[in-house]
Amino acid sequence: MLVRDILKRPVIAVSGQTTLEDAYRTMQQHGIRHLPVLEGETLVGVITDRDLRLATSALAPSPLSPGRRVSEVMARDPRTADPSDAIEDAARTMRQRKIGCLPVVDDGRVVGILTGLDLLDALLRMTGVDKPSGRLEVRLRDRPGELARLTSFIGERGLNVHSILTHPDGAESVRAVLRVGSIETRLLAEDLRRSQFEVVWPPEKPWPR
Amino acid sequence: MASVIYHPAYRNYSFGDNHPFRPVRVDMTLDLLRSLGHAVRPVEPEPATRRDILGVHEDYYVRRVEELSAGLEVPDCQDYGLGTPDTPAFRGMDEAARWHVGGTLAGARLICEQGEKRVLQLGGGLHHARRNFASGFCVYNDLAAAIQALTRHGLWPAYIDIDVHHGDGVQQILYEDGRAMTISLHESGRFLFPGTGEVHELGSGVGRGLKLNLPLEPLTEGASYLEVFEEVVPAALSSFRPGVLVVQAGADAHFDDQLADLMLTTRDYERIFRRILEWADAFTAGRVLFTLGGGYSLSAAPRVWALLSLLVHDLPVPAEIPEDWRGRWGAVLGGEPPRAFHDPSSLAADIPNREEIAHRNRQVARRLLDAAGPYWAGRNL
Repeated sequence: MLVRDILKRPVIAVSGQTTLEDAYRTMQQHGIRHLPVLEGETLVGVITDRDLRLATSALAPSPLSPGRRVSEVMARDPRTADPSDAIEDAARTMRQRKIGCLPVVDDGRVVGILTGLDLLDALLRMTGVDKPSGRLEVRLRDRPGELARLTSFIGERGLNVHSILTHPDGAESVRAVLRVGSIETRLLAEDLRRSQFEVVWPPEKPWPR
Repeated sequence: MASVIYHPAYRNYSFGDNHPFRPVRVDMTLDLLRSLGHAVRPVEPEPATRRDILGVHEDYYVRRVEELSAGLEVPDCQDYGLGTPDTPAFRGMDEAARWHVGGTLAGARLICEQGEKRVLQLGGGLHHARRNFASGFCVYNDLAAAIQALTRHGLWPAYIDIDVHHGDGVQQILYEDGRAMTISLHESGRFLFPGTGEVHELGSGVGRGLKLNLPLEPLTEGASYLEVFEEVVPAALSSFRPGVLVVQAGADAHFDDQLADLMLTTRDYERIFRRILEWADAFTAGRVLFTLGGGYSLSAAPRVWALLSLLVHDLPVPAEIPEDWRGRWGAVLGGEPPRAFHDPSSLAADIPNREEIAHRNRQVARRLLDAAGPYWAGRNL
């Protein structure tokens, strides 16, 4: 999944000359927390609701008045994303820099914005259930052809795989979590075990049949 | 007063002898009741009409079922869940499925038009069928059809689904309906088909707060099941004040079921059925329509459903399974048929983290009541 698939637009932005009060009102009106700051079409900064609150807080050493300008508070030279970036790259940047948004810039123009919530939406889409299906979790040896052997086994039974997630599981194996379009995943699991697959879910029943 | 609905044509709804959803499960149930001296004398329904079906399904979907049923090729049938390993197409499928819908509709009519209180439909319960999608052995949704018929008659139904799988088709068809409550208890969709049935699926529009889901941990046992059942169902019923209960009595939450992972025994089922009958007396003047559903253990499902029939008729539960029945069905069962009617009172199963399971189920029940409660309060204003 790419940044262009999940970015939000049109982008609501302000200029460096906008007052803090107006920037705050813009955030409130649109229910958002991040505003790119533009001079003409050029991105010059990002201001967040947290920046505003910290700058104007009575707890700040010298609180700014509501009439001061965004350019005094904004973060300059912000990190950005390209529409063709993978979302995991965007996620890594946001996590490493501990920031909540990335303006998406294409050809020098801001074409969208990505926030942490958009990444959560993407996670829900990737792990979600959009068709009736059962869960199958198999531990595979980490070597070529193992995942193919599993999916062929399922395909030969005429079953449709709706989604696959794999992640490392120790040094020499990976876990594959599949959603399979069948109510009979338990019976499929028994077949897989008979063919020497290590099925983690569904488990064998903890009593003798 | 109690009536049973059944027709031998139900047997035609069959995906083959190697498929879990086999008519023999009901044959064994009927034969067990006969052996016990309590043979049912069923009311025979008519098959549902095409028009009945179109009340709950899209016509482009029904057309595809009809074509497959006539042996025609339908190249895109899998886009509609038809012709899949779970729900294979077979000759006569349309009519066979309409018989089951007809039976459940006949049950609704007995209650509406003849004042019957307790009806047991020994078929139907095809709760996975969606408006335009077959799944999990279900082609036409008899339950949604009957619920809509009851609603039109002014009896607002509360639907209770104790099948181990989420009643996703019924929930989908009634999702925006403010006149029908649905309550499904099932093994969590994180682990089991169809994957839905989370607490946050509460309905939409005027139906918001009326679609309730209690997803349970794998290996949940009777004590924990009954605890959350008691916590949620009477509270929901007393707020909704239904005119009738419709119960999908799938038997696949039984520990011996080969498709799922809950741990109910026949003793737990007896408690569940007795409570539902008590709630019918308390909330709906005794009106309750039961259907069958999932239940794939040939050793367990016939006992669970025979038990249901006995309780619906206020008959005592026997101690033993008759020898003649054991003789007749041993070969089909492929193992020693049970001698006692009830399962042993404690299972010799080694369940890790039993307390953790009960704790999580309690949390889910609480979260459900917290999420749905405000909508119930609003309705009473």
